[in-house]
Amino acid sequence: MDSVTFRIFRFDPETEDSPRYQDYEYELEPGVTLLNSLNTIRSKQDATIAYRMSCGSAICGSCAMRANGHAVLACKTQTSELVKDGVIQIDPLGNMKVIHDLVVDLEPFWGSLRKVKPYLQPDTTNNPELEREQTQEQFLLIDDVTTCILCGACFSDCNALEVDENFLGPATLAKAHRFIYDSRDSKTEERLEDISELHGVWDCTHCAECSTRCPTETKPLARIEEIREAAMKAGVHGNNGARHVLGFRETVGKSGRLNENYLPPRSVGFFNIPGLLGLLPVGIRMLMRGKNPPLIHHSIDKVDEVKKIFSRFEEYRK
Amino acid sequence: MYSHDVLIIGSGLAGLRAALELVGHLDVGVMTKVYPSRSHSGAAQGGVAASLGNVDGDSLEAHIYDTVKGADYIGDQDSIEILCADAPRTIVEMEHFGCAFSRTDENKIAQRAFGGHSFKRACYSADRTGHALLHTLFEQSMKRGGELQVYSEWYMLRLIINDGVCKGVVAMNTKTGKLEVFHARAVLFGTGGYGRAFAITSNAYANTGDGIVAAYRAGVPLQDMEFVQFHPTGLYQHGILLSEAARGEGGYLLNGEEERFMKRYAPSKMELGPRDIVSRSEQTEINEGRGAGPNKDYVYLDLRHLGKEKIMERLPQIYHLAKDFIGVDAIKDPVPIQPTAHYSMGGIPTDNDCQVISNETGDHVTGFFAAGECSCVSVHGANRLGTNSLLEALVFGRRAGKKLFEVTPEIGWSKVNEKEELSAVRLEIDRILHTKATENLGEIRTELQNTMTNQVGVYRTGEDMEAANEKIKELQDRFTRVKVENKGKNFNTNLIEALELSHMLEYSELIVAGGLAREESRGAHFRNDFPKRDDDKWMKHTLAFRKEDGGYELKYRPVRVTRYQPEERKY
Amino acid sequence: MSLKYALFTGCVAKGAGRELLTSTNIVCDKLGIELVEMTDAACCGAGVVSEDNAMIADIVNARTFALAEEAGLDIMNICITCQGVHRKCQVKLARDPKYMARVNEALRETTGHEYKGTVKIKHFGNIMLNDYGLDKLKEAVVKPLDTIKAGAFYGCYAMRPHEYSDLAEPDDPDEMERIIEAVGATPVDYSARLKCCGFPIIMMNKKNSLTLSGNAISSAKDAGSDCVITQCPLCHLNMDAYQPEIDSSLNMPIIHIQQLIGLALGISQDELKMNTHIIRPTGAIAAV
Repeated sequence: MDSVTFRIFRFDPETEDSPRYQDYEYELEPGVTLLNSLNTIRSKQDATIAYRMSCGSAICGSCAMRANGHAVLACKTQTSELVKDGVIQIDPLGNMKVIHDLVVDLEPFWGSLRKVKPYLQPDTTNNPELEREQTQEQFLLIDDVTTCILCGACFSDCNALEVDENFLGPATLAKAHRFIYDSRDSKTEERLEDISELHGVWDCTHCAECSTRCPTETKPLARIEEIREAAMKAGVHGNNGARHVLGFRETVGKSGRLNENYLPPRSVGFFNIPGLLGLLPVGIRMLMRGKNPPLIHHSIDKVDEVKKIFSRFEEYRK
Repeated sequence: MYSHDVLIIGSGLAGLRAALELVGHLDVGVMTKVYPSRSHSGAAQGGVAASLGNVDGDSLEAHIYDTVKGADYIGDQDSIEILCADAPRTIVEMEHFGCAFSRTDENKIAQRAFGGHSFKRACYSADRTGHALLHTLFEQSMKRGGELQVYSEWYMLRLIINDGVCKGVVAMNTKTGKLEVFHARAVLFGTGGYGRAFAITSNAYANTGDGIVAAYRAGVPLQDMEFVQFHPTGLYQHGILLSEAARGEGGYLLNGEEERFMKRYAPSKMELGPRDIVSRSEQTEINEGRGAGPNKDYVYLDLRHLGKEKIMERLPQIYHLAKDFIGVDAIKDPVPIQPTAHYSMGGIPTDNDCQVISNETGDHVTGFFAAGECSCVSVHGANRLGTNSLLEALVFGRRAGKKLFEVTPEIGWSKVNEKEELSAVRLEIDRILHTKATENLGEIRTELQNTMTNQVGVYRTGEDMEAANEKIKELQDRFTRVKVENKGKNFNTNLIEALELSHMLEYSELIVAGGLAREESRGAHFRNDFPKRDDDKWMKHTLAFRKEDGGYELKYRPVRVTRYQPEERKY
Repeated sequence: MSLKYALFTGCVAKGAGRELLTSTNIVCDKLGIELVEMTDAACCGAGVVSEDNAMIADIVNARTFALAEEAGLDIMNICITCQGVHRKCQVKLARDPKYMARVNEALRETTGHEYKGTVKIKHFGNIMLNDYGLDKLKEAVVKPLDTIKAGAFYGCYAMRPHEYSDLAEPDDPDEMERIIEAVGATPVDYSARLKCCGFPIIMMNKKNSLTLSGNAISSAKDAGSDCVITQCPLCHLNMDAYQPEIDSSLNMPIIHIQQLIGLALGISQDELKMNTHIIRPTGAIAAV
């Protein structure tokens, strides 16, 4: 059996000034999970290490933490897959304050969820006596996103949340998706409008950390993309993000290429004076270096093929 | 001191459902040692039973009969009638709340077969039914936002009952270590099961019987503790549940010789026999040398013949569990499984409105209620049918809420001696923290769990249980010298583990006591030295009372029979 | 063995990032890699078109793949966003034959092309490492950049989601660092090298976008980098063109990986169009 060094983040703000790492030597048994390993270390070497756990079977979401800098769900991660040069570094989740060792303050996470009306809002004017009908296909539209166990791994590693604590974050956006795509919900348009506002779905930077860390089928980035698709289809276009998409549609659909001189003003809004003024500095800087995109925008060769594809736009919409 | 009209301990299906019934009408607080969406209700996989009859000719009568028979005839039949009768309404209500159910071709809630049920009545959401239901109630609780006070990561340590009147609890805020008295006119426990006393269990680390022990220490008897259900398909070595739905969808059980051995034990139902029978069948195969693997200590759940598409659509979670936890691809290979301690039929005795009973004659404790797995109504008797537990939590959680709504306004605010109550808990904690410490906490716990699994498990004997009894006493003594290195206040998991262990040591004794006294085999309780069911002597409920000196006393209560007289239980 | 690729330029290399196309062409020419520019290939969609209409984006990208197949060439991408979007589309089609059939049907109906599923799509960095080979690259180096400490910035789509990444270890890659070493420079390890530059939200939330870029640059600077090396022109835009608005004291030159290689091959800064960068090459870079 190999010996592995567990380098565990330790911090008790009650008694310590600053965090430290403590090393534990551990005999790696085949097939053990990270949670098994931590429990063994805690039971045999140091009972003071604090971390959350409950079900041990990847359904309660308690045991998310960072291994080698990236969020994982401890109970379903094989310890052997985490070893790097004989060491595994364990840290608390990111984007949340540390309470004690690997236990973080989840209040921002729960608080974010509550912002998107995370409950079904059916049409109550006709409450059927039996179950509301739904096809299996409609059920499958929300099947993946309902696997979310609210573990916080996505929230932890989200790049956008790192710089903006008001961003709704991937789990909350996924939760919003679950109701936007539920055929039994009657407030879809309202939800799409709310989610398109500042700090909402258009603030996601696509870094894909969330989907990469997600231990279930939820894969928040895919849900975020689906919300945007739904918002575009529903005509919720009064924001920079949606106008940015329209700008792509308009220039790529017309010339096969993005018109970079057109896109920024289209995104901020042609009549949005402060927005347009905000674009000036970078425009001028680039102009001075000769870096600005050529004023005459050329189409690609055989652009008619692309135009033909785009002419089928509505036909191929979800 | 905090105060609420109604304080609910436990934020699983029972606790949350009761809270939703009361919110807006009474001042309700819900307390949980985790967070609501982390409650163990979420781990239930296979389905929730109701005689909706969406796919076959099911009936209320059939559901009642199956449950009475499944309970091996010590379920209280009037309670079972209530459970089954309220089932269809309950499912429809959950769907109206927004629960996502798998659907039939007619767009109705899909139902599938399940062990011990004679019709397809398990309503399901892929193989994550508990998760879907729990999150639905959690969403509804968020809808009520400011009206519902939720105390997450607060650990209830003491139930306050003076002169037959429940007054509240003492709880620790785990983030600060501070002890507080919660004063209430009524308290509802939805604190779940007690499977963590066993080494191989599907139960969460949090399921350490804190609620039942608090009630027991406060003078409430515990009922039918000896009946612990061993689920047949626990993932080898982990004990993680692989849903019965796998068998409901057509999975096979194979021994080391790749034989479908259930033909010898339940020839007509085969893999869909009830859990106690299937678990014992597996254990027999293992004990008689026909187990699989290098140590022949497990059997197989075989899904290969179902094909990739069916597995990924109907049983995705099982596929991922086998893959992630033991590296087995269920599409290509059979999955190693063993019986796992899964459900606690025993618990706090209540009447059909969830009011807690204080003695064998059925008197009530004023203002104390219990619902869900921690309670014993009893709807499951000696063995629970799968899909009936999610149902019980929802049905009786709502009933508890309704009864609380009715009676709480009439319960006055009785005086509570805050200082005394806090001291009692403070004393226990100080004793644990500052005693002369020589014993390793993990070792005591492991020894308890191994003892319970090996000697109070699927097959029991008087000899084994006597030995287990002695061992538990030894462990209880060693516990008085347990080492708790972390003396801090801030999220002290070390202290919490010690307190949980003290609870496990206390209720394990009652499991053994009930099992030793009960000289018969019934449901999940099987004794090699008394292999037959004895209705003349043992068709009754066990009640364990705590004595002043810390020991226990067993008394008995009759079973309520309304429809079906006991028959031989064959499948 | 001579290497030849269909060059998918991406939109930015034809517009605000023309120095990327110029330096790619010069460097490949010097190394003997033949490039055929795909002048008839359309924008990859950048993950934005797919948020409007996923199938349209897939059809347009399938067309690009088909064009390369018809030319009998594999695709070289010089933008990590294009690479990520292309691979995502390719994997999606490969996994779902029914959907691929639908996409091909639409493609045939509108354009007559058909995507066979054979083309390989690689980013320039991958080609340097695996097709061209670092040993060969080292031999071609005439001016080892041994005074330069370079911080590699991978760009999100190079790494995530893992299933579309070419990197051996997407959570802890060293491919860019190995290229940096091959040209004689010293790679600098810094905490933000796997983070997001924020470009995708520059129009939606400029503050957040630039804070992300600023954090990345500061992290590289604190670790001792003279410059940040990018493999995506969008990362380059955000970190270079907007740098004065982030923090004018940062003064961190942002350099395309092609330009770094070009300098080591003896090509001048002028030829590599480094004079169009907003942030002037300073310090160790200026001396090269």
